[in-house]
Amino acid sequence: MTKAIYALYDDDEVMVNGAKAILAKNVRIKDVYSPFPIHGLENVLGIKWTRLAINAFLYGFTALALALAGMSFFMIQDWPMNIGGKPNFDLYQNLPAFIPITFEFTVLCAAHGMAITYLIRNWTLPGVKARNPHPRTTDDHFAIEIDRTENAGVSDDEIKSILQGTNPVEIFEK
Amino acid sequence: MQKESAIREPLILGDKTYHQITEDVCAPVEGKANKYWYMAFSVAVIVALWGVGCILYTIGRGIGVWGLNTTVDWAWDITNFVWWVGIGHAGTLISAVLLLFRQKWRMAINRSAEAMTIFAVMMAALFPGIHMGRIWMAYWVFPLPNQFGSLWVNFNSPLLWDVFAISTYFSVSLVFWYIGLIPDFATIRDRAVKPVSKMAYSVLSFGWTGNAKAWIRFEEVSLVLAGLATPLVFSVHSIVSMDFATSVIPGWHTTIFPPYFVAGAIFSGFAMVQTLLLIARKVLSLESYITVKHIEYMNIVIVITGSIVGVAYLSELFISWYSGVEYEGYAFMNRATGPYWWAYASMMTCNVIIPQLFWFKGIRRSLITSFILSIFVNVGMWFERFVIIVTSLHRDFLPSNWGMFHPTFVDVGIFLGTIGIFFVLFLLYSRFFPVLALNELKSILKSSGDNYKKLHHND
Amino acid sequence: MEVPSEYPEVGFMPLMCQHCNHAPCETVCPVAATTHSDEGFNQMTYNRCIGTRYCANNCPYKVRRFNWFNYVADSKFTNLNPAQDDLSRMVLNPDVVVRSRGVMEKCSLCVQRVQAGKLAAKKASEPLRDGAIQTACSAACPTNAITFGDINDKSSKVRTDAMNDRAYHLLEEVGVKPNVWYQTKVRNSMQTAAEPTA
Repeated sequence: MTKAIYALYDDDEVMVNGAKAILAKNVRIKDVYSPFPIHGLENVLGIKWTRLAINAFLYGFTALALALAGMSFFMIQDWPMNIGGKPNFDLYQNLPAFIPITFEFTVLCAAHGMAITYLIRNWTLPGVKARNPHPRTTDDHFAIEIDRTENAGVSDDEIKSILQGTNPVEIFEK
Repeated sequence: MQKESAIREPLILGDKTYHQITEDVCAPVEGKANKYWYMAFSVAVIVALWGVGCILYTIGRGIGVWGLNTTVDWAWDITNFVWWVGIGHAGTLISAVLLLFRQKWRMAINRSAEAMTIFAVMMAALFPGIHMGRIWMAYWVFPLPNQFGSLWVNFNSPLLWDVFAISTYFSVSLVFWYIGLIPDFATIRDRAVKPVSKMAYSVLSFGWTGNAKAWIRFEEVSLVLAGLATPLVFSVHSIVSMDFATSVIPGWHTTIFPPYFVAGAIFSGFAMVQTLLLIARKVLSLESYITVKHIEYMNIVIVITGSIVGVAYLSELFISWYSGVEYEGYAFMNRATGPYWWAYASMMTCNVIIPQLFWFKGIRRSLITSFILSIFVNVGMWFERFVIIVTSLHRDFLPSNWGMFHPTFVDVGIFLGTIGIFFVLFLLYSRFFPVLALNELKSILKSSGDNYKKLHHND
Repeated sequence: MEVPSEYPEVGFMPLMCQHCNHAPCETVCPVAATTHSDEGFNQMTYNRCIGTRYCANNCPYKVRRFNWFNYVADSKFTNLNPAQDDLSRMVLNPDVVVRSRGVMEKCSLCVQRVQAGKLAAKKASEPLRDGAIQTACSAACPTNAITFGDINDKSSKVRTDAMNDRAYHLLEEVGVKPNVWYQTKVRNSMQTAAEPTA
């Protein structure tokens, strides 16, 4: 037996209203597939907002500390040199010259760290197989996925009749 | 559903549906290129190969094959570098700054503008490499542990700041661009019929699924990357300007440089976006998406940044006199009236006077005048960098050191070559990549689409 | 001050690296190939140089020279460079390295002679005597117009020369604090005598 039942819609508003109706009948929705981000859908489905931004901050903060520590080690502790008579006896004196690279390195690590976390968290990496149920969910269709194991108390026919009531263009199992 | 005022001009013209957007954007990728594309591509490849030849000749023989001398140690190399980096700035500005300001019109142009950024920064990054006397030692600019023990780089050098700024800028722009491309590659993947293209786009789309959580993360990543890329846009050209501003050479040692360079970069970048998109919208039949309104918005950015640049030119000139520094005063007099007066005059005409025509609504909404004016700005901004670099160097403190710079065929060849390589990359991009941000356009169709606006207006 | 263009007078002025204490060339090098030595030399590390030429641009005196070609092998310079043939190579100073293509070079104040002089004094276990080290230019000048020595040695000739009223720095107003002093030319001229010098 297949694992999930899908309802396919051709409009985002119809789909969002459908999702609300399905949830009102105490049927749990596993996921929604859409060709573009739908604002407000996370509230309907009760999905918690992502914490990726906090990650980015942590990567950036680490990079900031690393850049300052690295530059003061290279320029002040490890091998101080007289370069153009510029003061280089401690970090404070040399700080103005270190700001551009500190900033760039912070942005570099925050952006790349966040992007890598994003790709891993989404499991979108080169060679990964796509899991969208219908090829048109990346074009103009929207799919609601209902997992049978999550809705053990509701029969297939009931689920299908509830889905039918939300004006889908197609209901299919996969 | 978000509604938009009826008096705002629609951003998507015609009777478009989600599916029609997909069809329109995927058409160039799925269809065959016409003979004009092949002609343009062949010309670009030939010019690019000529440039590569000149680069290899330089590396084989030495920097002496350029027109440089002891007085003018940088000329076309760094001029081209700054020119290309400046062009790159528009892409990030459009995709990052306009995203933060929630400007919906960016969605039709951001993909191509970012592609332009990536290719322009690639061309820019080429020059600091090939201008080195010993390019095979180029990796020494990174603080790598080495067999010499405590041998590090000089973190006080603006050129080293440049290394970090350009590499950060390039890689962050690339990541930002690619993350936006992933869902659109997935669209092409799911439509592909040929096995080769199906496989290629499967790999390129990283297995994108488009479920609700993925979209939430996508939006968050886009927003935070935009937040990170915005200060990056401003910092990169500020740092490039510090190559000059922190020096002691009159004409370079100028505190106005960072803001003036940033405005100039956005100015030249938008001009290049305009040049490319006015052709692309026609060739790829994207007139419904890149509308006259989009062109007008970009022209407004051009006239504003062009005016900032004009004010900067004039204040520079005024301060050189007002400061009472003889060297400074001479440097600017020499720019305007010295042997390179024609470069200064071209810069003033192309950057300050001509863009002012965009104050006229008719001119900034006309495709032909927009195209012609954008070419003027591209040319003018090249001259600006030439004027700053060469005229400052060729006559500085001691008249016994004065000299002139005369470009050789290698200088010219490398410059034209980078334009060739740039167009090779851009033409390939226009064949194999979705040139508009599909997923973003679809999200504004109902609020800014022509047909939907009429529909809402009626009810 | 006199207006130079109203008194056009030609003077000969050897211009070499001024070994600035606040050297603008040093701060701009990304790889720290040019730094300051303890002796106050602006030293150039040829084998660290990657050839960005930024230092040469930022030199107010424009005294840095770049190796544009591989002069020891490039056929364009066969008639100019004696070092391209095996016998004529003997003219090259064995104490000085031949700079390769793509690196910057400049006056080192004959660092090889300074090192040798210091070594000789050390071997003899005596302090470095003033005038014991001569640079190639000071040794060659027939009229002793060039003096080389230790500016920190209060009794040295270079110190007394640098401290007298005629001494000045070239482009002092740029603020790079050179280690080379010039002396104004004493001219027997009616026009300048009328004008008080600043």
